[in-house]
Amino acid sequence: MRRRVVVTGMGVVSPIGDSVASFSDSLLDGRSGIGPITLFDPVSLPTRVAAEVQWGREMLRDRKITFAQVAAEQALDDAAARKTKPRGDGGLSLGIGLELFSMEDMVKSRGNAPRPAASQQERLTFIQTPSDLCVHLISKEHGLCTPPITHVSACAAGTDAIGSAFRMVADGRRDWMLAGGTDSMINPLGLGGFCKLNALSTRNDHPESASRPFDRNRDGFVLGEGAAMLVLEDLEDAKARGANIHAEIIGYGNSFDAHGISEPHPEGRGACQAMKRALDEAGILPASVDAINAHGTSTPKNDPVETSAIKGAFGDRAYRIPISSTKSMIGHLISAAGAVEAVAAIACMQKGFVHPTINLDEPDPACDLDYVPHEARRMDTSIVLSNSFGFGGQNSSILFRKYVNA
Amino acid sequence: MDQRFRDPCYDSLAITGIGHVLSTPCDPRPWLKVKKNRKFMGAQDDLALVSAGRALESAGLLGVSLGERAGLYLAVGYIPFEEEDIDSLLEVSADSEGFCMERFSTEGYDAVNPLLTFKCLSNMPAFHISANFDIQGPYFVTYPGTGQFYLALEEACSALKMGLIDVALVSGVAHQRNFLVNHHFNRISFPVPSERLLDGAGCLVIESKNHAAERKAQIRGRMLNCDVSYSTFHPFEDRLHHTERFEGLTGADGELGPASLPVALSLGSHGYIHHEAETRDGIAASSEWELL
Repeated sequence: MRRRVVVTGMGVVSPIGDSVASFSDSLLDGRSGIGPITLFDPVSLPTRVAAEVQWGREMLRDRKITFAQVAAEQALDDAAARKTKPRGDGGLSLGIGLELFSMEDMVKSRGNAPRPAASQQERLTFIQTPSDLCVHLISKEHGLCTPPITHVSACAAGTDAIGSAFRMVADGRRDWMLAGGTDSMINPLGLGGFCKLNALSTRNDHPESASRPFDRNRDGFVLGEGAAMLVLEDLEDAKARGANIHAEIIGYGNSFDAHGISEPHPEGRGACQAMKRALDEAGILPASVDAINAHGTSTPKNDPVETSAIKGAFGDRAYRIPISSTKSMIGHLISAAGAVEAVAAIACMQKGFVHPTINLDEPDPACDLDYVPHEARRMDTSIVLSNSFGFGGQNSSILFRKYVNA
Repeated sequence: MDQRFRDPCYDSLAITGIGHVLSTPCDPRPWLKVKKNRKFMGAQDDLALVSAGRALESAGLLGVSLGERAGLYLAVGYIPFEEEDIDSLLEVSADSEGFCMERFSTEGYDAVNPLLTFKCLSNMPAFHISANFDIQGPYFVTYPGTGQFYLALEEACSALKMGLIDVALVSGVAHQRNFLVNHHFNRISFPVPSERLLDGAGCLVIESKNHAAERKAQIRGRMLNCDVSYSTFHPFEDRLHHTERFEGLTGADGELGPASLPVALSLGSHGYIHHEAETRDGIAASSEWELL
């Protein structure tokens, strides 16, 4: 028999808050975390804005590893807040971005400068930092002793990591899981690459309004960075240990567009399929969904296609579901996006509001649903869907339900 | 801790197709549905597409619209950024002091071919397989070694058991004759000589025996059992060896990362096969197979 899977711990590091409490307060306020890039000087690159995590703390060279470590610590502390820990062996399922590649090191390696050889850490981060270091560091730190999983399905990876962990716990293949995503591509090569694809907003003079999902005047996404982690466990185990239950995960679905390398299927075929699969797994009708946390990137291509896909999955009901884009405030966190947006969806459901899509001043006629413009909306929601769609046509959707202690 | 795939369902599953490729360059054009996508493809994409095409052909599924009832479970190797692409970028992005952001943001930026972005992304082999063989079902894309192929296999078996799909492509791909991948394997605690790093990809087509019987597919083999376990380690402090052993066949003469097991199975003929791996990322895995 399938087990019911609940979320008993959450952690987040984001451009608008480095705790679940500060993050959800910022969401409620509709606060933008986007500003001029400070991590390096982008000089003449077309885009010079991003949503950075503003921290004074010491970090590993590959920032996304530190983000994940901090989010993991928060989530596990939260899960153990009532002095008990999840039962059995834990595992880690993490959506993570590309290996960090250092142009500076590469130049050094081609010159006469001495190569670092002093420590294993220096060697393993010189020129390129393997992304899988992250799962081993976190597994070691927290004694997570089942094989860790790195998901590399690009912008869908965070949701895939949570969805696959959900299935592992539901099927009894793992006792409990720490699941989430982490990324930072705010570096010269990451920024330059996305600029070259014309994927980024160039509203450098107005950073706070650069990310404007579903708006007629959107011109691309804004890079963000951060991480989020969830602790997932069996409902009965969670109840038995007296855990604080944040939400239940009830369905997950993913799919391929099998269409274009950089453009989504024009009718959102794969995205629609991912949503339908999540609904099927949950065994609920579209009418049961109270809100949607959209992928909502603010790119010309994504937003109307996502709108079509939501209509395909929800029919007329689509017009009556509030839909928010977290990316309007924090930009696109790539492999971390789905995980951070999962925390947004759950935290908003717990607090009884739907967060706004900021900067939606003039809706695109092709985007004609209710995107909760400008201000948060007080609303009790019981079931929330969260979407993540990736470059290369990988689509992922997950459903969260408010947990009511029976 | 032993992590045998709990609640095994192997008895109900069958391998109906196997394919591999063990060298680069390899020509993916026979499998390309959309010819213009060729310009987006790196060697890793070529390898993945060719092995999947060969596996589907051996399963009698080539040209069949796989659609929503087929899923892809893929383990990819470390990112193989091509040296010549990096060199051309570095040439116009450095000055006498080293890397120069001013030059990168002007001359370097102008010199970058946007297609390069696609050639090195870890999820691109999955895109090319899905687009060219019309796979619209679920997916699982993980990284970067032998152990992760086992995790992809676990997910595929689970999806078949849940009835989410009828057909699973379980694939491993590694393009390792590459300067950046070489750089990585040269700096680890027990370096791997570049000549031991191979390029390759292997793909298994797995389906339920019932589905295979319905379409009168030839059964080519089956998995008898599988164990995966993990010992935590500190990547900056601990030093782990990598060993792999096959019984019943000779694996490739070198390291193939996530492609190791599927390539070996594809190279095998009839009989019992045992694979054991203790990987440098703490995973110990073993499996037994019967090839028919």
